[in-house]
Order: sequence, then structure tokens, then C-alpha cells
Amino acid sequence: MNDGSAAVERIRGAFALAITDIGAVYGVPMLRVRKQDVPAVARYIHTDPHVRGSLSLLWAVDHRPREARYELCYLFTLAERKDWLLLSVDLTGGEREFLSITPMVHAAKWYEREIRDLFGLIPVGHPDLRRLVRHEHWPKGSHPLKKDFVWDQVLERVQGEYVFRKIHGDGVFEIPVGPIHAGIIEPGHFRFSVAGEPILQLEVRHFWKHRGVEKLFEQQRLTEAVPLAERVSGDTSVGHSLAYCQAVETLLGVTVPPRARYLRSIFLELERLHNHIGDVGAICNDTAYALAHAHCGRMKEQLMQLNDRLTGSRFLRGVNRVGGVSRDLSGAQLSQVEEELQAIEQEFTGIEHILFANASLTERLENTGVLSEGIAWDHAVMGVVGRASGIDRDLRRDRPFAAYRECPPRVAVYRYGDVRARMRVRLDEVHDSIRLIQTLRRQVPMGPLSTQAVEASMPGQWAIAAVEGWRGEILYVVMAGEEGRIHRCKVRDPSFVHWPAIQWAALGNIVPDFPLINKSFNLSYAGNDL
Amino acid sequence: MFRIIRKSLATGIVTGQYPASHATQEPVTPEAIEKAKPFRRSLTIREVDTGSCNACEMEMNALANPVYDVERFGVHIAASPRHTDALVVTGPVTVNMERALKDVYKQTPDPKLVIALGDCAINCGVFKGSYAVTGPVERHIPVDVRIAGCPPRPAEILAVLDRLRGARADAKK
Repeated sequence: MNDGSAAVERIRGAFALAITDIGAVYGVPMLRVRKQDVPAVARYIHTDPHVRGSLSLLWAVDHRPREARYELCYLFTLAERKDWLLLSVDLTGGEREFLSITPMVHAAKWYEREIRDLFGLIPVGHPDLRRLVRHEHWPKGSHPLKKDFVWDQVLERVQGEYVFRKIHGDGVFEIPVGPIHAGIIEPGHFRFSVAGEPILQLEVRHFWKHRGVEKLFEQQRLTEAVPLAERVSGDTSVGHSLAYCQAVETLLGVTVPPRARYLRSIFLELERLHNHIGDVGAICNDTAYALAHAHCGRMKEQLMQLNDRLTGSRFLRGVNRVGGVSRDLSGAQLSQVEEELQAIEQEFTGIEHILFANASLTERLENTGVLSEGIAWDHAVMGVVGRASGIDRDLRRDRPFAAYRECPPRVAVYRYGDVRARMRVRLDEVHDSIRLIQTLRRQVPMGPLSTQAVEASMPGQWAIAAVEGWRGEILYVVMAGEEGRIHRCKVRDPSFVHWPAIQWAALGNIVPDFPLINKSFNLSYAGNDL
Repeated sequence: MFRIIRKSLATGIVTGQYPASHATQEPVTPEAIEKAKPFRRSLTIREVDTGSCNACEMEMNALANPVYDVERFGVHIAASPRHTDALVVTGPVTVNMERALKDVYKQTPDPKLVIALGDCAINCGVFKGSYAVTGPVERHIPVDVRIAGCPPRPAEILAVLDRLRGARADAKK
């Protein structure tokens, strides 16, 4: 397992005084750092050529009432072998301020604003201290994830204003779009500053769908919160529930039986498949190429009906449970899957030929919405969007989970970072998912479907799990509370990382290309807003 | 071009290739059917998401795919609330979307219908009680039809829309 120990030695060498303790959380090295040294250590981890860590997650925990402190944790993924490294800082004695690392590590920008909104801890030095999650009508001092904030209270509405970044100049005007959009899509607000058609600036303002998911997790027991995890982002039910289950399984010391691991991989790939095929169709639809949209929509429908026949749910809900899976796939069902996927692969290849032969489609897709590798790296972009911009990361290969050690994926990486590259990544992943499912189905061992999870009281212990969902890396940090309950559950959908990046990809493009760029990212609003 | 034509001919007609819906739904009230009378042959709907997980939206998008093809029933999806006859609302109404939902309801011209789609819109589903959720849709705007499910399958949504349209059981679909 990747253990980042070389990096730990380097950092210890460079910052001997700043680091007060070195420990580990289930194999991930954790450095306890002095509050005032965090920005320097973070800058070192991010920029030193031998370490090159990108910030994967930044979260806060309110340890009260057990301990009177807040803790801030920073998770870095080191570039070379994709090792993980944790930093931890305590805020005690009523301290509310911490030093922002955003000026050095841009990926921290939304995490720190989120911490400010949900915990009332202030990132000093952050370039943008406007509210993120709480909209302007939330009362001052309402910080939902603090332990003294009652989960089911009724919030009052106050007068407030959210100030958008403005660009001034002759002929510059603003186009506000949303929260309710023209299609059947989730709510979010986009404010374009344009001079004619080209976009000078795009500001994304979300969190309209904030449902209080992390606080709702804290009201549940460790073994029972899977249905909530499935509904964080409805099109990623398998990805989110798998990440949640893996975190709890690490905590409770449960070993998932081999058959369950293989079935979990099959379900995850089935989810990846129907979403990618739907996305390819939707990208074409946004260039008005309705034929491709119709064919892809038809194939996606076939796959969802297959999911329904296999598990009783078109979205594969109810398949994951803590300890394994709750549904089996019989030999007959697996043969059915193989047959249907062979047919779909042939059909999909035919559609690909039609797509590549279409010059006017290529004209729209090429050089549109370019997200450069440099910006992608600075903002810790990964997943489909990252792989289209040269960021070679895929958790299935780098930190294998479920059955991916036995059946590794072939990772598709493209350099151009335009809409066409993002579509190419999806096209390649469709073929690879089909190949993976065929391989998994042939190798799936017999055996039990799950291991009984015995609840234990382990207040304060926590574990991180990461799953490569179809959009990208899904991270769950689960901390146990008293008597089998959850004390803190940090959920991070890849969309939270990518929404800020889309503001960069849109620059210089014309407004009518924005729906195309947005569709090529296809980010979850619900997964972002929680 | 020939490749495209060959593909279309080989694919054939896929409309209607879905299993019939077996889920029991709350019956559509006679008041709702009366209200829907002017829209029997042409119903324009606008979808409003007030905080759903997105599964309901995906099922609604599926209604427009070649397999369900809701347009063959005269149901058309509009881009603006100004052009609609029925608002389809999903999601437990979050505190941040409450104002937007009320605005859209006011902007939609009368006569109009409101269809609450999915368990969240009817009773907040798994998000019930959260500080960020204000309550089911009917707490803010009057609801005429409810379609339960998490999410309801497109076939189930079509079945309720059929009843709303007063489609006769023996009518050609």
C-alpha cells in the first residue's frame, strides 16, 4: 500500500519544529502541525518537486462534547505514487481563526469557505470571504455543523445581499442564468460577464440544493446510513454508498468477502456505463445533434432497464450494505449481462463511427472549453475532467478497492482539455467498463455476499475511503461517535472540486458554447451542495 | 449519410419497449382531472428542482428519450415557466430554493397544475426534518397530483399522466 513515508521524512527534515507529532490513521501518515506553520508546510507539500502533493480534501471536525476542540484536517495526494498524507491542526480554547492556505494551494478555496459557513471558523488571508453554502437570507451566526446547532431547527430568514464579482467597462454586461434552468436539470446560478459573445468572466454560485446531508448523517447509526449515502447524488448511488460502506468497514474492521468485492465492482461499472453513454448523447444534443442523443438515450434506457431487472432499481439502489452486498447476481443473470453488453458495445462502436465522421460536430467540440493542465493541477482536478486535461489519476488503479486489484482498468488520458477530449475519455471508458464487467463476471468467485458488521463503540476513531465514481474521486471520512452512531461524516463528491474549475474552462468561449462545456463536465449540483 | 440511414433502419422503432408499470400510485383526484381538461391533447410542462438528488430529473429526462417519447401524447417540455400548463416539482423544498419555487409559481400563468414528483416532493424523503429543508411542496404551493417513488420509473410517471389526460384504456397509444 502506498504509504508516503519518503515524503514524511522530507517534510520532517524541512519543518522539524512545526511538526509536533507523527501518527497514522489506518496506514495513512498524519502529521500534527502547529497552527501558525500550516501555510508554509502546505506550500512545501504542494510545490516541492519531490513531493508535489495536491489537496484532495480539507475538512473540520467539532469534537465537542467529548473534547473541547475543533480539528482541521488536510488530505494531500502525492503525485508520484498517489500516496496519501494527512495534516492535522487543533483549534482550542474558543479560537475561531486559522490561517488560510488558499493563496498557496488554490484547491483549498471552496473547502475553507465551506468550513467558515458550516463551523464558523474563519480562514484568515482567504481572498474571498463571501458566504458559500449559506445564502444571504441565513441569519448571522447560524453554523449548521457545530454541535450546539440543533439538526431539525427552523431557520429564520433575514435580509441580506450576495455581491457578485463585477467587471466594469464599455460594453460589458452581465447575463444571470438560474437557479432554474431551461432544461430538466438541477438548480444552480451562473453569472456571465460578457462583451458581446465572448465570456470575460463566469461566476458560479451554487448550494441552492443544500439539504444538510452531513448533519443528517450525524443523526444516524454507522450501519444504517447507506440509504442516505445513496441519495446524496442520485446518479451516483453505487459510488457514494460504496465509499460510505468502505469507510465504515475500515472503522469496524470488517473484511468484505471476495464475491461481494467483485459484485461491487460490477455494479460500479454498470453505473459508470449508463452515465457515460447518456453523457455522450447529451454533449451531442447540446450541439443540436439530436440523432446521437436519440441513439445514446436509447442505449442508456436499455442499460437502466437491465439494472432494474438485475436489482429491482434502475439506479442500482439497495445493492451496497456495510459488510458486502445485499443482492446476488446469479449465473443466468451474469450471462444476460454479458449478452446485452456485447450487443451494446457493437452498437456503441457504430455510433462512435458516425460521431467521428461528422465534421460539423467536431468543429463544435474541438478547442471549446479548454481546461489547461496547469490550471487543472492547481485546482486538484481529477476524474474524467482531469484525465482529459492530462492529469493521470484513477483510484481504481492507484488505490485499488473492491475487485480492482485483480482486474485493473485501462486509464484513458488525453492532453487537450477541450470538450472533445472529455468526450474521448468517456468513449474510452465505456469500452473499458464493458471489458471490465466481462472480465469480472468470468472471474467472480463463489462465496458469501457479506460479512456481519458488529457495531462497536469507538468514539473519536475515524477512517477515510475513496472510490473512483464515474465522475471522479468520491471521498468519505466517517468518524464514529458514542454507541455506534456517527459523530462526523465528511462527504466529498468530485463535483465540489470541479465547479470552480469550470469557471476557468469557460473563459474566452462564446456564451452559446457554455451549455456544451457544462455538459462536457456534467457535474452534480446535488453532490456539490449536499 | 448512408451509415446513419442504415443504422436507423437497423434499429427500427424502439418506442414502447418498456415493461408496464406495476407500482400502485395514489389515484388522481377528480378535481385534478377536471383541471387538466383543457390540456388533454396538449400539456406543456416545466420542471422545477427544489433540492432533489437528481434521480427524479433523470427519470423525467428519460421521458423524452425515444423509448418513452412523451411527445407522442401531446406532452411538451417547455424552457420557461411562462409557457407552461403544469409545473412538475421535485425535491424537498430547501431553504435556498423556497423563494425561487414561489416565484416560478407566480410566474406561471393560470390555469395551471402542479405535479409533485417523487417521495421528496411529497414528504421530504430521507431529508425530512433537516434544518435546510422547509417541507414538502404542498407547504408552499397547492399540489394537484402526486407521483410517489424514489425515483418513480418513467413508466409510472406516464401512467399517471395518462390518467390525468383521461386517456381511455382502449385508446390507441
